[in-house]
Amino acid sequence: MAETPLVNLTIEGRPVTVAAGTTILEAAKTAGVLIPHYCYHPGLPVAGVCRMCLVEVEKFPKLAPSCATAVGEGQVVHVHSEKAREARKGVLELLLINHPLDCPICDQSGECELQDYTYQEGRKDSRYREAKRFSPVDDFGGDVLYVQTRCILCTRCVRFMEDVAHDPVLNVSERGDRAYIGKFEGKDLTHPWAANVVDLCPVGALLSKDFLNKARAWELDRTASVCTGCSQGCNIIVETRDNTVMRLRPRSNESVNQFFMCDHGRGDYRWLNRRDRLESPSILGAGGHRIVEWEVALQAAARVLKGKRIFVLASPNLSNEALHLLSRVMQRSNGAGAYRVPQGEAAPLAGVPDLALRTDRAANGTGAQLLGFSRHASPLDLMQPGDALIVADAELTEQDAASLAKAGVVVVLGTAMPAHLPKADIVLPIANTVEEEGTLTNLRGRVQRFQQAKAAPGLARPSWFVLADLLGAMGEKAEFFQAHDVFAALAASTPAFAGLSYDTIGLRGLPVVDASQFAEASR
Amino acid sequence: MSHGPSAAGGALIKPSNGHERAPHEPVFVGEARARLDELITRYPSKQAVLLPALWMLQEARGWVSEDGMAEVGALLDLTPAYVKGVVTFYTMYHQHPVGKYFIQVCTTSPCNVCGAEEVVKAFLDGTGCGELGVTSDDGRFTVIEVECLGACGFATPVMVNSDFLESIMPDGVPDVLARYQ
Amino acid sequence: MGYPHQPHPRETLLLSKHFGDAEARTLDGWKKRGGYKALEMALGMEPVAIQNVVKESGLRGRGGAGFPTGLKWSFMKIGDGKPHYLCCNADESEPGTFKDREIMRWTPHALIEGVALGAYAIGAETAYIYIRGEITEPLAVMEAALVEARAAGIIGPNAMGSGKTVNVWVHKGAGAYICGEETALMNSLEGKRGNPRIKPPFPAVAGVFGKPTTINNVETLAAVPHILVNGADWYKKFARPDNPKSTGTKLWSVCGNIARPGNYEVEMGFPFGEFLHEVCGGALPGRTLKAIIPGGSSVPIITLEEAERGFMDYEGMVAVGTMLGSAGCIVIDSAQSMPKQIARLARFYAHESCAQCTQCREGTAWTTKILERMVAGDGTAEDFDTLLEIAENMTGKTICVLSDSCATPVISGIQKFRHEFEALITRKTVHVVPTVVA
Repeated sequence: MAETPLVNLTIEGRPVTVAAGTTILEAAKTAGVLIPHYCYHPGLPVAGVCRMCLVEVEKFPKLAPSCATAVGEGQVVHVHSEKAREARKGVLELLLINHPLDCPICDQSGECELQDYTYQEGRKDSRYREAKRFSPVDDFGGDVLYVQTRCILCTRCVRFMEDVAHDPVLNVSERGDRAYIGKFEGKDLTHPWAANVVDLCPVGALLSKDFLNKARAWELDRTASVCTGCSQGCNIIVETRDNTVMRLRPRSNESVNQFFMCDHGRGDYRWLNRRDRLESPSILGAGGHRIVEWEVALQAAARVLKGKRIFVLASPNLSNEALHLLSRVMQRSNGAGAYRVPQGEAAPLAGVPDLALRTDRAANGTGAQLLGFSRHASPLDLMQPGDALIVADAELTEQDAASLAKAGVVVVLGTAMPAHLPKADIVLPIANTVEEEGTLTNLRGRVQRFQQAKAAPGLARPSWFVLADLLGAMGEKAEFFQAHDVFAALAASTPAFAGLSYDTIGLRGLPVVDASQFAEASR
Repeated sequence: MSHGPSAAGGALIKPSNGHERAPHEPVFVGEARARLDELITRYPSKQAVLLPALWMLQEARGWVSEDGMAEVGALLDLTPAYVKGVVTFYTMYHQHPVGKYFIQVCTTSPCNVCGAEEVVKAFLDGTGCGELGVTSDDGRFTVIEVECLGACGFATPVMVNSDFLESIMPDGVPDVLARYQ
Repeated sequence: MGYPHQPHPRETLLLSKHFGDAEARTLDGWKKRGGYKALEMALGMEPVAIQNVVKESGLRGRGGAGFPTGLKWSFMKIGDGKPHYLCCNADESEPGTFKDREIMRWTPHALIEGVALGAYAIGAETAYIYIRGEITEPLAVMEAALVEARAAGIIGPNAMGSGKTVNVWVHKGAGAYICGEETALMNSLEGKRGNPRIKPPFPAVAGVFGKPTTINNVETLAAVPHILVNGADWYKKFARPDNPKSTGTKLWSVCGNIARPGNYEVEMGFPFGEFLHEVCGGALPGRTLKAIIPGGSSVPIITLEEAERGFMDYEGMVAVGTMLGSAGCIVIDSAQSMPKQIARLARFYAHESCAQCTQCREGTAWTTKILERMVAGDGTAEDFDTLLEIAENMTGKTICVLSDSCATPVISGIQKFRHEFEALITRKTVHVVPTVVA
């Protein structure tokens, strides 16, 4: 393919060079200039209807909608000229005339683009003296509530459902100032990716029922993470308040999930807040479990594991770091490790290539595979009688009971006590995904970092930390002070991860060596 | 549904209780289906016959019900929500049942300066509707004001169903109504 | 004119010659009157040659914008391997305008001939005539004429035995003024909401069904056969000697407070004062003319004095501060309240706004509410500034010009009839502003 020619222009006095065909709005971003806008969204087709992104382009007879105007050689663009600012001020005034201004009770408050741009360049008063429009709140089904009075008709939601989800259940109904976002009776927003319309809505018109009235936007702490709902590895933001996860939202990553995440992943956060957590290391004694110091528990674990072949039943949601250290634990005894991946129905997002809620409902099956674990529907079948079993945050089923009886000794390394486990000799409590740092490898072999969003309960420690200490107790030199160090060791010893480091992975992720083996099968 | 004061009225036709929930008999069977299939051949896309199909629906049933929208949508591979977005854009599709005679009186400026508002009044009085968009108790009439009918030189133009009447004056209204019993 | 009155001697009858003549509606009657000679001639010409004749004639779009027709046609790349489409814009909805309706109603074959000719000239095998749904009689007449023309082989797969395909279909609108905007018309034809599209792409590149498309007004297309038969030079003679930019005859729809409302066909550049007083019969008995909106409701309102100085062509109307537009001339006399009529026009636009652009959706409605409050006697002096600033925000900032069209009568109305608004404010006794804090 021929290379796209470049175009030079000036935006707000700054020289900009972008590919031909780029819009002025996107070109301005590269120069660090944000042109206010509502209907434009990089993940949706251009509508050009809100008219908020009007800019002055020298020699143009009229102001230009920067979202729908391609750059031209030598163009001189003024975003903050008086003419452009007055036009946007006019749009803001018009958007506000019928807006209820109920910000104190609006969930969007604090992350509302109507608030932000009005604060930035709106009028200080309103000249509207007429009665305001009023409309009732409508339940759109799924997790979505429609507060029509706040709607600015930017149509992002309609375009998402039509052009991205390919399920046009939303429409613009009526016309003029009677227009509203409508749906058909009995056809709800039940598409598995529908809740993205809540994120896309620039104002408080589309709200999450799950999040409704739970928190103010400014109370939330935001942490970059990766969704563990399936093997897609959608980049997300974990939003917490008072050490509690309040909601998960998509974080844009063009290579993985564009701007979106599915409803399953979005709703899959309550387990991160569960209260029945393992909080202290303990040892099984005559009178039941006895809470002990970490050092005691680790020494005891090293002792019971000594001389035995070690079998690891690993959760495919554990980080690459934890899995690497676990594989070192099992290698010491010529042991083995396996994992089981829960299954669910696939739900692709039709308008985005290779983006779906996957049948594999675990985040790091690929990492487990690359780090020497076997995937198996009944992983305990691979365990030999008398093996020392480490249950590493894996879930057990009733069917596992017979196999469990074969284990010589059981060490639990986990966030919670697994169900269906008759006995655990040693319990080592670990942090869950949002309580520690690490990396996950998605189904396409992309290694992605997640960061710590909240503190682990009680004495629970990050999984890599506990495993490093265990290796130490077992006599191995494993001096790791950060997750970063573990990853460096992993990368140095595992060919698939060669050359990767936290610094190079960054917040967008990088593929493993030979990731093409994981590429989507051609259709 | 839009509520509260709109500059140009809300829905033109007020919903009435009654037969809106009656079960829907498919319209596009037999001849109607063949007619629709013929129309489709005139365009490079099936969706292009959406407006004609909605016209056929309205001609058959007197209005465009949600079930009807769903039927049309299914025929043209469109979701009912999409069809509804289109239906509500165009004022000539009745989203509710209307009287046997649907009377539209133009009151836009060219007719307005010729006394169109008096013509509207005469129709509201003469039909017993009393109010715009409301169907008369006997179910015979619904009167609405309509924006420019494009016959400004023949003020005031009035449509009764598909009959297009020209130069109607208030005192001519009883004669008009006498023709529609 | 022909219907409902006899033509005035000062008219130049070209398009309206057979108005009111029922026989002209039939194929035989039309052929008897010289019909379809132009099409037969055209089908034997190269499309580009036809484009050039039309270009040379100076014919400009009669729908409102006045864009040179031949130039528009030349944007269509003949032989580019893509299907081309011609859309005939018969969604005549501009208040004050009712000329296309009469062309279709009385001379349907004149339009079919123009449409078929135009389609061939732009390399299109299919043409759609988009007729607004309200005008039931022209719809029925057009459908009947098309059946006749198809049966006679005038249009269809072998049009007039030329071996060329020209299909012509009627598409019925369903009540939306904005569908007269060309890109909205294309969306409507495709079975969508009649939302205007962002340009570019222009219709000649990606129009209806994403293919190169030309959209022409009914009157424009109906004029083309006359040009082809009589030549560009002949057509150019219908013009003011000092203004060659506007050529041909023009149908003027005249309505409102005028003695003889109707359609009048005059040469471009006809003196407007003589037209109003002499041809149309002037004011109704006992009344005096006050304001004229000469080009359909979207053009600036002018006073009678301004109108009397004007010449009836594109440039002549601009010279007196307004536009020719669709030549739908609304006459308002001294018995009318200008604020009331301007409010009524604003209400029209508020009703017709497609709801896409903020300025239009909200601005037309807000403007209407303020004006209606003023008319109801609750106006304030600040309302003038507010109205004019909203109007400024509604001008030149949206996808199409519906918003501008709403602002235009407000701006020109306040400018020229401010005293009528002021009288409403000073006359009022009690003034109550709703205590809504926005």
